[in-house]
Amino acid sequence: MTKSADTHCPYCALQCAMTLTSPADLAPAAQPGPGPVPALNPAPALEVAGRDFPTNRGGLCRKGWTSPTLLNHAGRITEPLLKGPDGVHRPIGWDQALDLAASAVRDARARHGADSVGVFGGGGLTNEKAYQLGKFARLALGTSRIDYNGRFCMSSAAAAGMRAFGVDRGLPFPLEALDAASTILMLGSNVAETMPPFVQHLQGARHAGGLIVVDPRRSATAAFTADGGGIHLQPLPGTDLALLLGLSHVVIHEGLADTGYLQERTTGYDAVARSVNAFWPERVQSLTGVPADLIRETARRLAAGAQAGGSYILTGRGVEQHVDGTDTATAAINLSLLLGLPGSARSGYGTLTGQGNGQGGREHGQKADQLPGYRKITDPAARAHVAAVWGVPEALIPGPGLPAVQLLKSLGQPDGVRCLFVHASNIAVAAPDANAVIAGLRSLDFLVVCDFFMSETAAEADLILPVLQWAEEDGTLTNLEGRVLRRRRAISPPAGARSELWIMARLAERLDAPSTYSEDPETVFEELRLASAGGLADYSGIDYAMLDRGEAAYWPYPAGSTGTPRLFTDGFAHPDGKAVMVPVVPRRRRPSAADPGVNAAAGAREMTLITGRLLEHYQSGAQTRRVAELLAAQPEATAQIHPAAAEALGVTAGSLLSVANSRGEVVCRAELSTAIRAETVFLPFHFPGSESANRLTEAATDPISGMPEFKLNTVWVRPVAAPDSARMLQQTEAS
Amino acid sequence: MSEQIVIVGFGPVAARLVDELLPAVRGGQARLTVVGEESEAAYNRVLVADLGVGRTTADALALADAADLAAEGVDVRLGVRAKRVDRARQQVLLSDGTAVHYDRLVFATGSRPVIPNLTGINPDPASPVLPAGVTALRDLRDADVLRRAVDGGKRVVVLGGGVLGLETALAAAEEGATVTVVHNGPHPLGRSIDRGGGAVLAAGLRRCGVRVAGNARSTGVEHNAPDGGFSALLLDDGSAIDGDLLVISCGVRPRTELAEGCGLSTGTGILVDHRLRAHHEPHIFAIGDCAEVRCPDPGCAACRNAKGPSGLVGPGWRQAEWLAGYLTLLAEGKAAEADLLPALPPEQPAVVVLKARGLNMAVAGDNAADPWDEEALTAGAVNGRPRLQIAQWADPEHGRYVKMTTRGGVLEALVSVGMPRTAAELVGLFERGAELPADRSLLLRLDGPDQIPGAGTADPAGTVCRCAGVSGAAIQGAVEDGCSTVAEVSKATRAGTGCGGCHEDIKGLIERHFQAAAA
Repeated sequence: MTKSADTHCPYCALQCAMTLTSPADLAPAAQPGPGPVPALNPAPALEVAGRDFPTNRGGLCRKGWTSPTLLNHAGRITEPLLKGPDGVHRPIGWDQALDLAASAVRDARARHGADSVGVFGGGGLTNEKAYQLGKFARLALGTSRIDYNGRFCMSSAAAAGMRAFGVDRGLPFPLEALDAASTILMLGSNVAETMPPFVQHLQGARHAGGLIVVDPRRSATAAFTADGGGIHLQPLPGTDLALLLGLSHVVIHEGLADTGYLQERTTGYDAVARSVNAFWPERVQSLTGVPADLIRETARRLAAGAQAGGSYILTGRGVEQHVDGTDTATAAINLSLLLGLPGSARSGYGTLTGQGNGQGGREHGQKADQLPGYRKITDPAARAHVAAVWGVPEALIPGPGLPAVQLLKSLGQPDGVRCLFVHASNIAVAAPDANAVIAGLRSLDFLVVCDFFMSETAAEADLILPVLQWAEEDGTLTNLEGRVLRRRRAISPPAGARSELWIMARLAERLDAPSTYSEDPETVFEELRLASAGGLADYSGIDYAMLDRGEAAYWPYPAGSTGTPRLFTDGFAHPDGKAVMVPVVPRRRRPSAADPGVNAAAGAREMTLITGRLLEHYQSGAQTRRVAELLAAQPEATAQIHPAAAEALGVTAGSLLSVANSRGEVVCRAELSTAIRAETVFLPFHFPGSESANRLTEAATDPISGMPEFKLNTVWVRPVAAPDSARMLQQTEAS
Repeated sequence: MSEQIVIVGFGPVAARLVDELLPAVRGGQARLTVVGEESEAAYNRVLVADLGVGRTTADALALADAADLAAEGVDVRLGVRAKRVDRARQQVLLSDGTAVHYDRLVFATGSRPVIPNLTGINPDPASPVLPAGVTALRDLRDADVLRRAVDGGKRVVVLGGGVLGLETALAAAEEGATVTVVHNGPHPLGRSIDRGGGAVLAAGLRRCGVRVAGNARSTGVEHNAPDGGFSALLLDDGSAIDGDLLVISCGVRPRTELAEGCGLSTGTGILVDHRLRAHHEPHIFAIGDCAEVRCPDPGCAACRNAKGPSGLVGPGWRQAEWLAGYLTLLAEGKAAEADLLPALPPEQPAVVVLKARGLNMAVAGDNAADPWDEEALTAGAVNGRPRLQIAQWADPEHGRYVKMTTRGGVLEALVSVGMPRTAAELVGLFERGAELPADRSLLLRLDGPDQIPGAGTADPAGTVCRCAGVSGAAIQGAVEDGCSTVAEVSKATRAGTGCGGCHEDIKGLIERHFQAAAA
């Protein structure tokens, strides 16, 4: 019997629509294959097909096409695993596992107080799970210490959006709106690798010659500007803010600003105009390496596009994952406001959300300072509303906790977190200063990790609880446009795996938690609707039945409304309806300490490290490294360097390189490319162990958003004579 | 207890200092008075020429707002001149008859234009009264004068071949004026640029419609205009260059007379040490164009090669930022901590980037040596210090010229004309002190058309569809197996199912197959 389910891809925030079909007769488990690629993927349990949808229009990338192979992967964890005194994980029953977890919580609470229990969530959790996790942490665990990996993702753009517009929805317009635009400025986003079907929406601008990509690398996305498609601006890493100020300078001084719009719809123009005055194009050229004429041309194109066809400005992690990420996103917003883009009919500003539910995940209370509906946890009215929905006294809801980097720094510390729950996150690979994070995990009294694979973080856990994959569950996610989508179950999960909703419900019972915890996604969603009602991200008018009918539900969607595909058409979300322009200027950076004592060996060169993604892998690679086809295409980390740098280092393509600083060392092969600047080295962050790029990144954070510095670190690069034993060992572990 | 800080001068550098001191003012540690001679708060002088040709507006030039600052608690005095400083009483006496006490006094008096000795122009250097039709293009009123000339399509004569003169000339010519640049020496920019670069630059100016009169010595001005204003610039060979407006652009000189009047040491500018303190006077500081960093220690290595004030705004802004930190610590009573603050690092040699639309040029450092100039290249190469090396590219026909003067692979000087990306890259390398690629021609190719990647791939084994990871060979296979449309190929191979960017390439492979089959 063939049955099929219409759902969405398990990976990024584009949430490409797909249909999963059970083949009539399941193929027998696949034959073990020869060669370096381990035969971990038997014949997939489901067949996948792209489904027509406004965002992906039937397209899928390689990650989506191969996603079903993970469902019956040989490495799937299907029973709770407890780490023995010998460090080996062994299966135990669910009752024992839940008892152990509950007693670890009670223990930590009794000895160190409620805030010694922490929760680290993820932007991959469904809305239902993210919502219930926030509630579970605050009421069942009684802790304020909850944050999530979105802090590494959307926090800077979110903070800037809140400050400027009073609300943060990644794209405040449907993605299709980009199709008609004549000019699109993309800063620090490589959609051609990260969400390939998105590129369809850039074609209009490309045909109009108006695709402008800002990236220090000539990324696959930047390459689309060739042959008249547009302009590639290649600034020095870390100078995006100055570049944006230069663009705003040209807009103001050449009289390209939309003065009527500024007057009617914004406040703060004068101070912004004064602050960008000092950034004339030639000065910005000296700061960024971008020729002054290209700065002028870009500003003029944006202004011309706003008059005809439409202009959009989009930011991504490349400009946001910095210690001045909030200011950089603010500078992009200021530029868009000068041109009158946000809230107009054919133009706009947006930020491209990364993780599958990165949007919904940041709205429903797994952020340290938030309650459901994008409410502030410090706002008495918000607390009262949520307490009423939960049926608890307001005082029972703890205050704000610690943002992710601070939370992770507190692991095992005397006043820090001693018992940690990790959901949908592989912090041992994906968090900055990963060596320090791993040390923190090891210093915990008890670590519980919910995962379906032995991720690098799960490997550190005392207790691993096996959970469901996307095709095995129902729920909702909110895509990068703020549209709520239905995830549908297509296959039964392995017998021993459980939904996180179920796990929270069982633990809450054991901890005698107040309020209720359902294991049924729809029941949880019904409660989420009530909790979000009246908040910025209001879902109260959305239900499963409506989503199942295929209705497009963009929040805010108060009960009785028809939702909001396009935000800001009538006004911004501040009390006076105006957008707030905030002057920002580059601050002098603290030099990122590459310790010259480390690797001062002859032949080491100081370079700037930037990190990013490959098409074939997603986030920490915990899933995609287990897909044979993807692993075969990108089996290991390679350090991308310019041939001129390679010549100076005396290395050739495929040579082993050491990339190191005081925080750690990465050893991997060199890939030579003229797409990168000569003083810069690029590492993908999808790989673990001695190839883990985040061993080198600094845990310094943005003062407003708490975003760490992922994209600008100083490293020493030197050739390594031969593969050393540690690396070989790592290879073995990975396979 | 809070300190009274007084800033004399309200130009761009003073504005930056005020901005940076605002937290201390808000926090109550400092009270701040700023005295500006002009009636406007600080504006961006760098853009006065742009204003003069109508490329920007006076509103857009503002760097500070007097009312906003007053609301923050800053005492802003505009249209008032500081007449005298009484160091004994720690007071500044103002032209309106009032006196302001200071605990710390900062000179940010800037500079004034150099007015050459020409018959027909009042030679008093302190208060030159320029006749009608002559301007030094320094403030907003000067910009108005230029604006009228440009709007009227008048003839503008620019005296001086420095970077500001060239910028004014290029901008005025582009906006419709008839412009002549008059300079001495064989090419514009004098000793900042080398002969080759200067020649290509002069040709570029001419291409942009600017007449260039080199090797010219001016002796006087003629006032035969109907309103009695300027009509011609007279040269020492007896010739005259007719015009309606003379823009004097012969450099600037620090305004030091107020400092001199109260007995402070001055050289080219007000002499300050590495903490921007006037010599032997702990209460007085100087920053920006009026300041000359040269410490009293005769053995100081950093000061031995120090040049006078650069006349550029960048160093002044860095000084303002540093001094604000220092003064804030002093105001908080943390003198010991202030003394531990690392001194401001010495400025890099200045980089000059021509602000112009039609002509790209950057120069920095000493570009005098030539590639074959053994003596100049080896001078200073002692004690293991490497000798200078020079790489050069000259293409005068196409208006392109690059010279890189390096020591140990690091730029000591550069010239780039007509090559924007190369200029941007070289300036960055120069400022970071970064090593150049051994193959210097890489830097030249940045402006070449080969830098733009071609679309598609000719290699059949290469990937055609990146999204799904499908090779050209796999697509060919599918076509040979009977697929004749992109949709069929997509279904069979997944190629083209991601971003769709390869649909044309797939179509090409299908067409090629069927053409071959037909033939």
